[in-house]
Amino acid sequence: MAIQSERRGSTLHINMGPQHPSTHGVLRLELELDGETVVSCKPVIGYLHTGIEKTFEVKTYLHGVTLTDRMDYLNPLGNNLAYALSIEKLFECEIPERAVVGRVLLAELTRINSHLVWVGTTGLDLGASSVFLYAFREREALLDLFEWMSGARMMTSFIRPGGLAEDFEPEWLAAVDHFLDVLPSRVDDYEALLTNNPLFKERTVGIGVLKAEDAIEMGVSGPILRASGVAHDLRKTNPYCGYERYPFDAIVGQNGDCYDRYRVRIAELRESIKLCKQALSFLPPGPVKTADRKIVPPPREELGRSMEALIHHFKIYTEGIRPPAGEAYVPVESPRGELGFYVVSDGSGRPVRVHERAPSFANLQAISLVAQGGLVADLIAIISSIDPIMGEVDR
Amino acid sequence: MTGGLDGLKAAFPTAEAGMSADGIPYLRLATADLSEAAGRLRNELGYGRFIDLTAVDDPDRVDRFELLYLLYSMAERAWLRLRVRTDETVASVTPLFRAANWCEREVYDLFGVRFEGHPELTRIMLPDDWEGHPLRRDAPVGGEPVDFTVTRDVYGTGPSAPPGPERSG
Amino acid sequence: MSTPLPVSGHAKDAAPAFVLGRLRDWSREKSLWPVMFGLACCAIEMMATSAGKYDIARFGSELFRPSPRQADLMIVSGRVAQKMAPVLREIYDQMPDPKWVIAMGDCAACGGVFNNYAVVQGVDKIVPVDVYVPGCPPRPEALLDSIIKLQERVGKGQRGA
Repeated sequence: MAIQSERRGSTLHINMGPQHPSTHGVLRLELELDGETVVSCKPVIGYLHTGIEKTFEVKTYLHGVTLTDRMDYLNPLGNNLAYALSIEKLFECEIPERAVVGRVLLAELTRINSHLVWVGTTGLDLGASSVFLYAFREREALLDLFEWMSGARMMTSFIRPGGLAEDFEPEWLAAVDHFLDVLPSRVDDYEALLTNNPLFKERTVGIGVLKAEDAIEMGVSGPILRASGVAHDLRKTNPYCGYERYPFDAIVGQNGDCYDRYRVRIAELRESIKLCKQALSFLPPGPVKTADRKIVPPPREELGRSMEALIHHFKIYTEGIRPPAGEAYVPVESPRGELGFYVVSDGSGRPVRVHERAPSFANLQAISLVAQGGLVADLIAIISSIDPIMGEVDR
Repeated sequence: MTGGLDGLKAAFPTAEAGMSADGIPYLRLATADLSEAAGRLRNELGYGRFIDLTAVDDPDRVDRFELLYLLYSMAERAWLRLRVRTDETVASVTPLFRAANWCEREVYDLFGVRFEGHPELTRIMLPDDWEGHPLRRDAPVGGEPVDFTVTRDVYGTGPSAPPGPERSG
Repeated sequence: MSTPLPVSGHAKDAAPAFVLGRLRDWSREKSLWPVMFGLACCAIEMMATSAGKYDIARFGSELFRPSPRQADLMIVSGRVAQKMAPVLREIYDQMPDPKWVIAMGDCAACGGVFNNYAVVQGVDKIVPVDVYVPGCPPRPEALLDSIIKLQERVGKGQRGA
């Protein structure tokens, strides 16, 4: 199929993106082609540079939560979690057990959400449009749950420094349980459409191979690293939020190609369902916010009785919480890999610096390695299997 | 290497070692020692995975930029932070860690720190013809003052909106 | 449907033109083809709008065209960075007339929460906007509502802003 270029040594430079149907947002690739073969592929980013890290410096820590939602917009609760963990590390406060387990539940639900979008859009990119409709059907059910929980479909800002925004309703928990009961059969449906589909396999098996040593060296993380055969999952290797208590498997692939990345993500969907089920069974009664009044304002009912509580409440919302001076970086395993917020505080109500270690940023950097020597048509499968979220690459 | 912070102290006796609030040990290095220390950490001590690089600006300090390199050891399952203070230039670690390429470009773009020996030190986030480095503490946040026509006469910032047809939902 | 009847002395000449004009407006109204152009968070909600539950196809706009040459509606779905602004304008310029623009979400409408150096404070600084959709991100229903509002105008023969 590939057209051989007539004059060897003469290459063609073309530009793909930033507006291209399969670049997942505003990614631009500068390609050097020899016929259909990719000689070099250079990503050009910054088309969604939002200045979020600068905006953090003029917001209070609580306002910052809403900015984290908008960085990786497929994983808002995971971003909230990483940000909250870093700030709580500065305060060194205790988070009640119900909030910790609730966070695991929410983080895994968000991972399901993210992988559902991934399965859908990958199907779309590779010409299997029906998967998109199926995956988004389940995603809508999940978004309805988020909306019930927080009032927002996507940008929930529900995990905040000090715990959760509110307690879960029992009916909501029952609805989540029901959703998790139904979901595995739906994942079977996606697999029926893709896993053994010869057209899908033709476009993914052996395409875009990333070797394990390259992946480690390039700082690649998440499903892409695991698809290359490296069993590295921060939930296992450096557990946070009590992940060590949940029996689950870190899914590892072998070949590091696009197909393995697909298999890893589908298996992770199932693992996340398992984790959510466990979190639901672990969920103890109790408060969902820390008792540390330095982070969480007094509850409403106290405001009517105590003047001090009223003043305290007012101060926290006007001046913001004040973490002790220091720095903290607490990484979590996002659907795309190692995600952490490096927060520097000088003891005032606004951060000196908040920097996001974005997994997509490192993963995308490896695309030049992955794409080199492949065919230009396979680039679509490669981009989609890397799953970059430009909001977090460019910030 | 074992022993975390103590092991690091033994390996780098001249550097100042410590522990941050997040439990990640750090080494504070002189600018000139960065390449050599990074090379040893990568080749001998197992910190071969480059995670992140960022900078913190303090315009009142002599060496205003503090660069923070984050490395990870797959064997020890632990992070390590390198801190280097500089005014303007520092040696690039991209020849050692390929993953540092974009991180250094980002710090160059947003802070204006130059990395000597970097293969392609150009702007990465902002347009090539951009002037200034926005993440410096003395750079303004930018944007626009919020000026709603309906509130102009309240704050005296100009004439308020003329009466028009009622807005529909 | 309030286009005034042409009242000239030559009604028999005007009638076919009038009918053709109405037919043209009606067909434009019922087949607004958006350019496939996603920017940020709102693009995900735009995708959700085109999926089964909200089904933008009910309003004739399901055909997201990857080429701006085949599209007459641009949904600016997300924040527009300074670096993206010239690209966005170029895509808009490539779209054939008549064309319409929906600014989806707070960022496209006014910069939203990102009042800073990097984000264009409202896409109306670079392209004329017909409908602004508030929300961060707006619900799919809000996007559908904006398309219906736009269709009403297109059906009346109004050109883009």
